[in-house]
Amino acid sequence: MTAVTATEAARPAADIRSRGRLVFVTVIVILCVWVLVPIYLLAINAFSSPDQVNAFPKSFVPGFETDNINFFLGFAGVGKALFNSILVAGITMVLSILLGAPAGYALSRFDFHGKDTFRVLVLMTRAFPLPLLALPLAVMFIRTGLDDTAFGLALVHTTLALPFAVLITFSLFSGIPVELEEAAWTLGCTRFQAFYKVVLPLILPGIAASAVFAFVISWNEVFAAAVLTIENRTLTAFLLQSLDVSPLHLKFAGGAVLVAPALIFIFVVRRYLFAMWGIANR
Amino acid sequence: MKAMIPRLTSAVLAAGAVVGTAATANADILFWSTQAAPLEETQAMREQVLSGFNETVDYQATDDRGPWLTRIEAELEAGSGTIGLLGALHGEFVSLSDNLIDMSDIDLGDVTVNPTFQELGKLGTDEQKYLPWMQATYIMAANREALDYLPEGADVNALTYDELIEWARVMAEETGSPKFGFPAGPSGLKHRFFQGYLYPSYTDSAVTKFRSPEAEEAWNKFKELWEYTNPASTGYGFMQEQLLTGDVWVAWDHTARLADAFNQRPDDFVAFPAPAGPTGRGFMPVIAGFAIPETAPDVEAAKELAAYMLRPETQIATLEATNFFPVVEVDLPDDMPDSVRLSGTAIAAMSGADDANPSLLPVGLGENNGKFNQVFNDTFERIVLAGQDVRTVLDEQADVLRDIMEESGASCWAPDEPSEGACPVE
Repeated sequence: MTAVTATEAARPAADIRSRGRLVFVTVIVILCVWVLVPIYLLAINAFSSPDQVNAFPKSFVPGFETDNINFFLGFAGVGKALFNSILVAGITMVLSILLGAPAGYALSRFDFHGKDTFRVLVLMTRAFPLPLLALPLAVMFIRTGLDDTAFGLALVHTTLALPFAVLITFSLFSGIPVELEEAAWTLGCTRFQAFYKVVLPLILPGIAASAVFAFVISWNEVFAAAVLTIENRTLTAFLLQSLDVSPLHLKFAGGAVLVAPALIFIFVVRRYLFAMWGIANR
Repeated sequence: MKAMIPRLTSAVLAAGAVVGTAATANADILFWSTQAAPLEETQAMREQVLSGFNETVDYQATDDRGPWLTRIEAELEAGSGTIGLLGALHGEFVSLSDNLIDMSDIDLGDVTVNPTFQELGKLGTDEQKYLPWMQATYIMAANREALDYLPEGADVNALTYDELIEWARVMAEETGSPKFGFPAGPSGLKHRFFQGYLYPSYTDSAVTKFRSPEAEEAWNKFKELWEYTNPASTGYGFMQEQLLTGDVWVAWDHTARLADAFNQRPDDFVAFPAPAGPTGRGFMPVIAGFAIPETAPDVEAAKELAAYMLRPETQIATLEATNFFPVVEVDLPDDMPDSVRLSGTAIAAMSGADDANPSLLPVGLGENNGKFNQVFNDTFERIVLAGQDVRTVLDEQADVLRDIMEESGASCWAPDEPSEGACPVE
């Protein structure tokens, strides 16, 4: 008797658990499909002939035609533009971390006059649309010789990425008890050593996250790039504006060309991101 | 975790080291253009048109006017520049007029440039502010399957708006889905349809009779047509795409934006003139030109390039690359691409029709060009998409239009009668 009631009681619990699991798996699948299907469609259309791209119903198997991709690789200046994009995004990443992390540290650890104003001001840099700023910026850049250089463009992109870098690192530093640092000081560390040996390893995933942010912001930015670079165009400035008015099969191929490097970059830094979510060293 | 720090640091250093490799000066002529922006056309401009010039030309095209204008404005303001030659539509040169070099002393040899277009290039001054480069217009295209549904007695080469509406209705009802398409998306050229096709065909005007009873009729007709128009049209930009996918069977668009359909499946599509209304067959030629900014690094080289672009053989190469037609006297060879053959015939039929009613692109609006187009787009959105009362919308938009005309002081252009002072909105 008792055994029967026990199994009867257990069944609903198991039911609920398996149903919960079903919902969980369904949500996971939906999320994956949400992200993967567009990328998959982009990929198969990039590798199909114009006829296949325009055909309906769409095939879910790529045509393995490399004409469209080859068109881009043969398009004068794509390689150089790709290099410029990576260069600018790289410099943006470095600058925004080098400037943003100390600012975030200062905001979380020290009290100073105008701290709140400063925090608002950091955000204010995003309040002005680039098309408005581009003209005076371009005039200044031409006069100072920064015009048409990767470094000049990276400065602009750094300004765009900095608020995120500051705010992300600010919240990360705030999450690390100051006692950890104080303990390091009592054990003989200098202020810098305590930061380097104790705090930095703890927030590294967060730094990686804001680096990814900076990279993506720079990678996606078009307007400033199109105005401030001529010979040294970035890939987005080079392709995106023209892609919009190009035939469908080239849109897909161009989309793939634009997306692939960013995907590769995120794939490379994923371990740092996972570390932040507590699944380290995968 | 510890291993990450040196690795990240070295990555940071490596990235920092590359910063040093900045720009190197380049002596190419920079051709800064808003035309031939689709990648295949840019490629063709570089490989088939500009490669024949004796100096290397860096052809940079963008469809986005924002960066194009901002860049040249910045160079003019800074007083030094890299752009050698500007390529753009007539209207896009207007706001730059004061900073363009007079091109009248360029030796064109025995080339005869279309005098009307050359006059337009003076932008109302005594100087040749820009030289015409190429021309195009807007025509209709149809899938051959659609011809089966043509209303009885209708000639596709001499359609009226009423017949077009009837045709669209029959197609929508018999195939089960609307088959007429209209480029009403963000990058579509719908405003040109209203300015150069619908208004001239019904009112013989684009500005003066903006709110006339005839205009009311025109909008009501267009509303009727919209009932049998593919509703996805509000996202369409280049009708060649929807013609190729088969979403749309009949469409109106710029010749360069239909060319892909004609070239990919020449036997499946026909090109034909725009329809006619009570006041004729309104249509609008488009003129692109090139100009030299006063900050050009090498004015002489830019002038040579301009002369090269107008040579008959370059003009033919340009036609093949961009589907824009020559602006100089030239004999076209027989082996032209299908799009040239098809749209060339349609253009000839349209401009040669007894009831042809050509209009010019807006002249003299200066910086108000965008606002002028916006008036027509807003009117379309309010009347057709939002279903607001035609009379009310026209009255309200006419006030906006009047302000724009008075602010810019532009006198009327064809088909409106020339005016003294700002073109009036009655």
